[in-house]
Amino acid sequence: MKKILGALVALVMMLSMASFAYAQDVTITYWFWADNDAYAATMQEMIADFNATNGKGITVVGEQIPWDGGGYSNTVFTAAMGGGGPDVASWKLTATPSFVANDLLAPLDDYLKDWEGYNEIESTLWDVMRQVGGGEKVYVMPWNTQVLYVYYRPSMFAAAGLSAPTTYAEFLDACAKLTKDGVYGFGMRGAKGGQEPWGSFIYARGGNFTDLTSPQAVQGMQDFIDLFQKGYTPSTAPSDGFSQIIDNFKSGLTAMTVHHIGSYAGMVEAFGEDVGAFVFPGDVGQWTSMGDTENVMFASCANKEAAFEWLAYLATGKGQETWCKVTGNVPVAASIKALDEFQSNPFMKVSIEGAPFAGILPVLDTTTEWINSVWPNTVQQALLGEITAQECMETLQAELYK
Amino acid sequence: MEVIPKRNRRTNIWPYLLVLPALLVVVAVVFIPILNAILMSLQNYDLRRPKQIGFVGLQNYIQLFSDKQFPASLYRTVLWVVFGVGFQFVFGFALALLLNQGFRGRGLVRSVSLIPWVTPGVLIALMWRWLLDGNYGVVNDLLQRAGLTGDNIAFLASRSTALPSVILTIVWQGIPFFALMLLAGLQGISQDLYEAADIDGARSMQKLRYITIPSLKNTIFVTTMLRVIWVANSVDVIFNMTEGGPAYATQTLSIYIYLKASTLNMGYASAMAIFLTIILLAFSIPYLRSMFRDQGV
Amino acid sequence: MQINAKRGKHPFKRFFLLFVPLAVILIFLLFPYYWTLVTSIKPSQELYSNQVIYWPVHPTLTAYGQLFGQFNFLKPMWNSFVVAMITTVLSLTVSMLAAYSFSRFRYKGRKFLMVLFLTNNMFPTVLLLIPLFTIMRQMNILYTPASLVLSYTTFTIPFSVWLLNGYLNDLPMSLEEAAMVDGANRAQAFICIILPVLIPCLLATGVYIFMQSWNEYTFAVLFTNERNRTVPVALKSLIGQFGVQWELLTAGGIITVIPVCFMFFFAQKKLVAGLTSGAVKG
Repeated sequence: MKKILGALVALVMMLSMASFAYAQDVTITYWFWADNDAYAATMQEMIADFNATNGKGITVVGEQIPWDGGGYSNTVFTAAMGGGGPDVASWKLTATPSFVANDLLAPLDDYLKDWEGYNEIESTLWDVMRQVGGGEKVYVMPWNTQVLYVYYRPSMFAAAGLSAPTTYAEFLDACAKLTKDGVYGFGMRGAKGGQEPWGSFIYARGGNFTDLTSPQAVQGMQDFIDLFQKGYTPSTAPSDGFSQIIDNFKSGLTAMTVHHIGSYAGMVEAFGEDVGAFVFPGDVGQWTSMGDTENVMFASCANKEAAFEWLAYLATGKGQETWCKVTGNVPVAASIKALDEFQSNPFMKVSIEGAPFAGILPVLDTTTEWINSVWPNTVQQALLGEITAQECMETLQAELYK
Repeated sequence: MEVIPKRNRRTNIWPYLLVLPALLVVVAVVFIPILNAILMSLQNYDLRRPKQIGFVGLQNYIQLFSDKQFPASLYRTVLWVVFGVGFQFVFGFALALLLNQGFRGRGLVRSVSLIPWVTPGVLIALMWRWLLDGNYGVVNDLLQRAGLTGDNIAFLASRSTALPSVILTIVWQGIPFFALMLLAGLQGISQDLYEAADIDGARSMQKLRYITIPSLKNTIFVTTMLRVIWVANSVDVIFNMTEGGPAYATQTLSIYIYLKASTLNMGYASAMAIFLTIILLAFSIPYLRSMFRDQGV
Repeated sequence: MQINAKRGKHPFKRFFLLFVPLAVILIFLLFPYYWTLVTSIKPSQELYSNQVIYWPVHPTLTAYGQLFGQFNFLKPMWNSFVVAMITTVLSLTVSMLAAYSFSRFRYKGRKFLMVLFLTNNMFPTVLLLIPLFTIMRQMNILYTPASLVLSYTTFTIPFSVWLLNGYLNDLPMSLEEAAMVDGANRAQAFICIILPVLIPCLLATGVYIFMQSWNEYTFAVLFTNERNRTVPVALKSLIGQFGVQWELLTAGGIITVIPVCFMFFFAQKKLVAGLTSGAVKG
């Protein structure tokens, strides 16, 4: 017993001494999540590269935090509110309002002013960053984006005598016609995260996120419900999240599903030539969801200049190139985007083709709860026939603009 | 039953000293956080809007009664606890009795029986999600091979099967707990009682009813109560399997609290948490009463 | 001996009352684990095949190689083991003392203290996280195993006290009283008479504490960093935003279970009636 306690005390002392040893150099702690262990290894290599090449004595220490179905943001929030937490962290836009409201993030404007990389990134993206931070300041540094599009199986389309749809009507028609012989036309995502593909239905009919109760938006919702209730999607759709829609597509259970370039490598590995992509078609309107990953600096960071160096390395430097190449995400830096590797990828082409219609949900302080709980449960109620499309949209509207 | 020697009824410092270390640790760590939670429940403590935080009296508690989700979640908690703990207990007790018999390979069987309990919660949820999958799940395949069902059932996507599915999972996870706890309790029963019963020609069921269960009374009572509290508060199995869906079908009170707290509405979440605590306490009181009475206090 | 005699008399009865129900419960408990094992060695084409495959056609152990190679799974396992072991010893010791006090003494405030312990575990921890984090930081044990030991001890004490109290109350008091009448003091009576009989119960409670500490995620992700991550955190990092690394996750699950079951295999030998021998000798 005493021995164990002794060992424990010794361990604690050793660890706290280890953290003193850093104090002479500038150390930046960086929290990130990784979507698989290969990405985690890549991140550690990038950190090592930055530490070796920055020439300013900056040492970044990377700590991987599990994504935990979005629990990542809560972990970071709890630590930051508890007076700990990192200097820099990887980020999702939806988390921004609550962190800004509690003064946890450092505004980046002073550093962006004289930064040569600023113009590498499109001004529309900066507008989005400013908007989520309340409209005045930029708290969030762009890193990479993903544009959602439709993956489809050309062989299944050919067998049904169809070609890739170019209009929304053709798309709905294809969902119906492709459903046969144990294959479903559309891999619908009815669990958390499903609001991203769903948004395309709302806009296609001419609706928008400002007023979800407009007749056009309700019609889009009705289309979504019909696909499920008419049996054009797997019966598991209400509980299908990201993994399930991808598994279902890869196993040949579905002929189409909506996701971004992050999964193209796995698709090509599974199907070779027999997988294609098209932009989610529009009708009255057109919209597709832009997935995002950014980085932020915390207000408690003691060495903000050094932290900014690391943010810049990730946004436009070598970090941008390495990360986007490994993960397949769309770079935000123009010079990296122009690289051959990105230009020649057919899936990247579709991503870029969809970019003009790409947008995000309104990022309000209610958005996280809306995404985590309101959207899935309310839409599931509609899919399962417990409420009408109209009632569903009224609830969604009321909860988002609460 | 006069079991306590009289001299201990006088004020004695020893019993207090014995409790002190445990009490110190618990109070030092959770006193401030719990006090904080109680205070939060009296404020509109929404960290998404920190500038508006202020005392609102009992408003959060009043809101509970106009919130449609609240009674529905409470009702699901009752189902979750009654069926979850009920089946855990029945099968766990049965397993304890079986594992208490002598047979070849008993040690091995005892240790592999613990497996569900050793498995981390996150894996349990994903494993069962995979077993119950509506497209590739082995449960569907087995049911169809046995000729019990025709088409695949989307267990986690329909209202009628989602809650039973998560209950099945928690039952699986909790059986080893009861088995081990009751097995340990069985070792304390004097063999003399069974031998005497054998001489009287008692049947197995009679021995179970008149010797085993009465001798295990305190253990059964304590383990059941602790398990009820644990299961009522558990989040990870449901959250990782269904996130409370589909259409709120598996949203128990603990999931609802978790969702509210993780979206930073701490005041309302605290009020619900305190309400849940009071309900659990109210549920425990009759048990506590009878236990304290039995002990001659 | 008694059991052997029974076996001779009623082989059929034994078969239906022991082996059949045991087999049914074991199949229920172990089939999911078997399925996890199969998943961990299935190549992905077989994983999502339209036909459910009960034993992989081309089993592969690559996941296990990866788990111990680049993923370095031994490190979180060791971290978990250290934290769980220290917690078990600490929590069991202080809980034993408190439970003895509750069970064998009657004093003012006893009921209040017992209910206080119970209430502590009724409250959902998710609401306590921010202040707990602050406390750990102020005590200067954040990002060390000590923070996990402290929080797990805190959150396992109440249940352990109650469990042990329940066991103690079920033990007949006559043995201990006899010893005290014979002139032993309370401590001697406890150590020589009660403790040996209580070993199965201490073991069971110890297993409870160990499991709680071994499987806990929320505190573990907040109070540790890369140096001292535990198993649940390591496993959870295999579930990304875009899908689950099934082979690695299931392989990790299989590996996690083995050492604990192995340890318990030896420990369970203590799960035998302590009273019989004592009573016979006495």
